[in-house]
Amino acid sequence: MIAYLITILTLVGIVAILGLALNLQWGLCGMVNFGMAGFFALGAYTAALVALAGAGSLAATLAAAVVCAAACAVVAVISLRLSEEYLAILTLGFGEVIRLFVLNEEWLTHGSLGLPGIPRPLWGFVSEKSYEALFLGLLIAVVLALFVALEILLHSPFGRAIRAVREDDIVATTLGKNVVMLRVKAFGLGGAIIGVAGAFHAYYLTYIDPSQFSATITAYVFMAVIAGGRGSNRGLLLGAATIMVFIEGTRFLKDLFNVLDATQLAAIRLILIGLGLILFLIYRPQGFLPEYRLKTRSLVRERPSVSQSAS
Amino acid sequence: MTAQVILNGLVTGMVVALPAVALTLIYGILKFPNFAIGAMLTVGAYLALALNVYLSLPVLYAAAIGAAAFAVVAVGIDQAVFRPLRERSAITLLVASMGVSFVLENIVRFIFGNGARSFELPLARPKLVFGLRINNEQIFTAVAVIAAMTAVYVVLRHTPLGRAMRAVSDNPALAAARGIDRERIVRWTWVIAGLLTAAAGVLVGMDRAIDPLLGWNYIVTVFAASILGGLGNPVGAVLGALTVGVVEETSTLLIAPNYRQVVSFCAIALLLLLRPQGLLGVQRIKK
Repeated sequence: MIAYLITILTLVGIVAILGLALNLQWGLCGMVNFGMAGFFALGAYTAALVALAGAGSLAATLAAAVVCAAACAVVAVISLRLSEEYLAILTLGFGEVIRLFVLNEEWLTHGSLGLPGIPRPLWGFVSEKSYEALFLGLLIAVVLALFVALEILLHSPFGRAIRAVREDDIVATTLGKNVVMLRVKAFGLGGAIIGVAGAFHAYYLTYIDPSQFSATITAYVFMAVIAGGRGSNRGLLLGAATIMVFIEGTRFLKDLFNVLDATQLAAIRLILIGLGLILFLIYRPQGFLPEYRLKTRSLVRERPSVSQSAS
Repeated sequence: MTAQVILNGLVTGMVVALPAVALTLIYGILKFPNFAIGAMLTVGAYLALALNVYLSLPVLYAAAIGAAAFAVVAVGIDQAVFRPLRERSAITLLVASMGVSFVLENIVRFIFGNGARSFELPLARPKLVFGLRINNEQIFTAVAVIAAMTAVYVVLRHTPLGRAMRAVSDNPALAAARGIDRERIVRWTWVIAGLLTAAAGVLVGMDRAIDPLLGWNYIVTVFAASILGGLGNPVGAVLGALTVGVVEETSTLLIAPNYRQVVSFCAIALLLLLRPQGLLGVQRIKK
């Protein structure tokens, strides 16, 4: 039972990191990323290859973050003159390109056979039996560190500027903000976070293959962000937890209806996720915990500091 | 050899033209790129498959009935999902269409499983015309697509419905002021889009095996085609589709065939960098 809980929490942790990234890119900066699964795969494979080359987990994680940040920044640069829909299409396409690359460049990625034996961080530090718990602890520390960093970012001048870009980029331009740079930075930073998630995914499973990076991941992450409340990091953590409870909960459907096979169960989950996405968008677009907004009262009280930092 | 590749490319392009036009029509009226277009292809193919295999209807009848049924489904999806979101941003509609895509694809997966299936078609040898190998499916595809595209062109150019559709696409506010019922136009647009995507699903299914990812494998190509033609421009979408088809097939001479979609993606990226309005599109850049 404890082992089962640890497994679920580890999955929640990885989805939460991805969700924080999407929340930064889409929730705060309004740049939707449909290539989530592809960038996640890019991070996982980069980390795996660097770690397998014997560079150590820290270097591998950094490499994954850098590669994913660069990939995201490139996509953002390509679409900088266009409206958001084109960025969405580009991210989707880029995700597919990564999937095809991973599947076909067998000399590097072993294609559909996958990469086994990825070294894990802090391995041998504790006994093998309690390693999973240590890994979970490490993951939770990373999630919390990212959460705190993003909360600070959200309330910083940069955070306010990217939210201004999301609301109305023309106003932001008029106010002298470099909209293009802000977009590329926010999207690239989101990419770095996706890379970290990919790295942890690779370390956790120690074996990665292309089938792990299907559109299902994208579905989970979008659901986590929308259910939690776009732009709200606190809501996102709640959203990620809800998703995983839901996914694990539907496992028991199998016992209720013993005619269902594994494919059908997976299909039902995605149907429910798809319906959930649509229903949230229609009936509760702000999610469980709506985004933090400046209230008029606090605005008046904080006025001096607001105008100072915005200048 | 080159002529054969170009011929195959043109046929591929013709198949892609149908969903590309559907995508571009919906974009014109509702102003969002419909990510469910891939899943719509898949459902179209499976509807015809069910009629073909379980009711043993000939493929042609199965396709016609399936497409008609799917047109109704498409209108239903719009009423249930997109209508309540009409006044929301393009991105919201986009994410909703992603949700629709998950639901459609997995209903198919739930019913039919992941295995590949195929239509019951009589086998025939390809014909040799001037040294080019042409098989029956390719002839059927060409005839069907040219008929469908002519029909769409006539509807758009020469009927009151088509005029109204173009009016709403150009300037929704002005169209509304002239008393055009937007909701009626939206419904008809989905009918046309449903018919076109379902037909394309059948054509893809005749060419290769039918599995739940059938449409997903075409999604980048379809988007490349309609962006190449300038989103919202149906004639451009057809030309874009033929171009993408030929370029993808020709690229297989140089690089591995698995990378076809990568070629399409590079085409989108280059085009968006150099000529964001599409080859035929009008200037509509947002800074």
